[in-house]
Amino acid sequence: MVILISFDIDGTLEVGDPPGVLTMELVRKTQEAGILVGSCSDRPISGQRAIWEKHGIAYDFAVSKHQLPDVKAKFEADAYYHIGDREDLDRQYALAAGFEFFWPDEAVSEPWLK
Amino acid sequence: MVTENAPASMYRTTEGLGVWEHKGKVAAVGVGHSPTTRRWDGTAENTMGANSIFALRQAIADAGVNPADIDGLVLDPVTTTGAHWPEGQEIPMDVVNHYNPTDDPLDGIAKLSAEWILKNMPELSNVKFTMYGPGCMSHAIVVAAQAVGEGRTHTCLVLKSWHNLDGRYNQAGISASDTVPGVFAMTPGRTLWGAPGSYGTALQFAEYCRKYGKSHDMMAPFMANSRRNGLLFPEGYWAQHRPEELTAEDYLNARWIAKPASLFDNDIPIMVSGAYLFTTAERAKDMKQKPVYIINHASSRGAQRSILPTLEEVEKETAETGRKIYEGAGITAADLSFENMYDGFSLFHQFHLEGLRFRGMQNGDALDFYQTDISIEGPNPVLPSGGNIGSGRSRFWMHTDCIQQIQGRAGARSITGVKPEIGVSGGPMPMGGNFTVWSATPD
Repeated sequence: MVILISFDIDGTLEVGDPPGVLTMELVRKTQEAGILVGSCSDRPISGQRAIWEKHGIAYDFAVSKHQLPDVKAKFEADAYYHIGDREDLDRQYALAAGFEFFWPDEAVSEPWLK
Repeated sequence: MVTENAPASMYRTTEGLGVWEHKGKVAAVGVGHSPTTRRWDGTAENTMGANSIFALRQAIADAGVNPADIDGLVLDPVTTTGAHWPEGQEIPMDVVNHYNPTDDPLDGIAKLSAEWILKNMPELSNVKFTMYGPGCMSHAIVVAAQAVGEGRTHTCLVLKSWHNLDGRYNQAGISASDTVPGVFAMTPGRTLWGAPGSYGTALQFAEYCRKYGKSHDMMAPFMANSRRNGLLFPEGYWAQHRPEELTAEDYLNARWIAKPASLFDNDIPIMVSGAYLFTTAERAKDMKQKPVYIINHASSRGAQRSILPTLEEVEKETAETGRKIYEGAGITAADLSFENMYDGFSLFHQFHLEGLRFRGMQNGDALDFYQTDISIEGPNPVLPSGGNIGSGRSRFWMHTDCIQQIQGRAGARSITGVKPEIGVSGGPMPMGGNFTVWSATPD
């Protein structure tokens, strides 16, 4: 089963501002387990890429908030998940793009993030 | 001591006033800034009031002035970036009482009075003149310049502070109310009740593009240049916390806030304080830093016919502002070494530029101008401060940059393609703001 996970950054990842509960180590392990990972954030795309590269994580995509549909079009997967901390900027965008949505604190207990 | 708003008579709002009667007789000498943060962390040490004291003391030390020699203080008492103290939320009295409070416990946290500053800076023992220039640093500067010129104060601190609280931008305060007054819901009031704050500017920009055959994409070089300059501004938010470029790809892929205003056309709210020390040209000669002479200030008070200004109204007002700026300074557009007009929102910077007729440009020329060399190394430096886009919402980076450029203290941000002798800064809005002309010489 191919899974794709889109991570918001601020309020979601530990490197965000504010920091979120999801560690970069957890993302790394997820990616190493064969899951497609990337970021979907209001941060500049170049800044998103810089975060992944700084932490040595082989990301598959880095896009702006409204570009989740592009991600879905580009990558074929059985499940598309977006994890974020905002109702309007994460949950609504995710659901509109056909992603399942998880808050960071509930995502950590999902099997694909363990 | 009761502090009042500056009277209308202190602003130069009309054409035909001639050269400013105090041209070259007022100088900026000292500069001070607090560190920047995204939001208040709730500690007493990092309140907006603490930032204010820090910035003021820096400016005093920078000018090399004995605090007892300071007799004036001008500031903006409104410090919100859009963050309001939630109604009913307990005020942390340990924080309040960490300082010498006034009657208002939010003073020094979410608003700022001259009284609070003087209670908490005992070294300012001889301040006899205080006044508010409400709105932003651009207001406070012209009030302080006029006050020094009129002899109300001879050594005056000028302060602007911003607080930003936890939570979402502009979703408390009136946004949390069940009803809003008047036409508030129809105006760009930066609230949940109305359209985004940038929508008025976005409409003007859309009309500008239609009229002159331009596009939003043409803003990308200006945005990249602004962020580049901001990253060379060590006092700024992006330089201190997230030294990220803003590439054309970044800008063009940003989501719309109010199309054609995208996320990055809006600035980021931050906590920061900035302060300057103004004095008479005579006294400035003996101070630690090179004086930067104020050779004019001018104000715009444009009136719009409807809820939002039209492009025509904006262009008329900015052209008038440009003429006032030059008339009062006794200079022409050709005398400007550089410009530092306001940019928060980025999509109105070109209105200011064209109103100035900077480098001979006319209405509709600015976006083409952005495709040329507008860097600090070139002959036509545009917004060398980087403005709010470059360093976060302070509305004072452009003023600091004018002072530092002319003093030769802009460091890696120094203009090299042209000798920085005369600069202009100010804002905020094309239809209403306050503008200052800075010069290396008094005449």
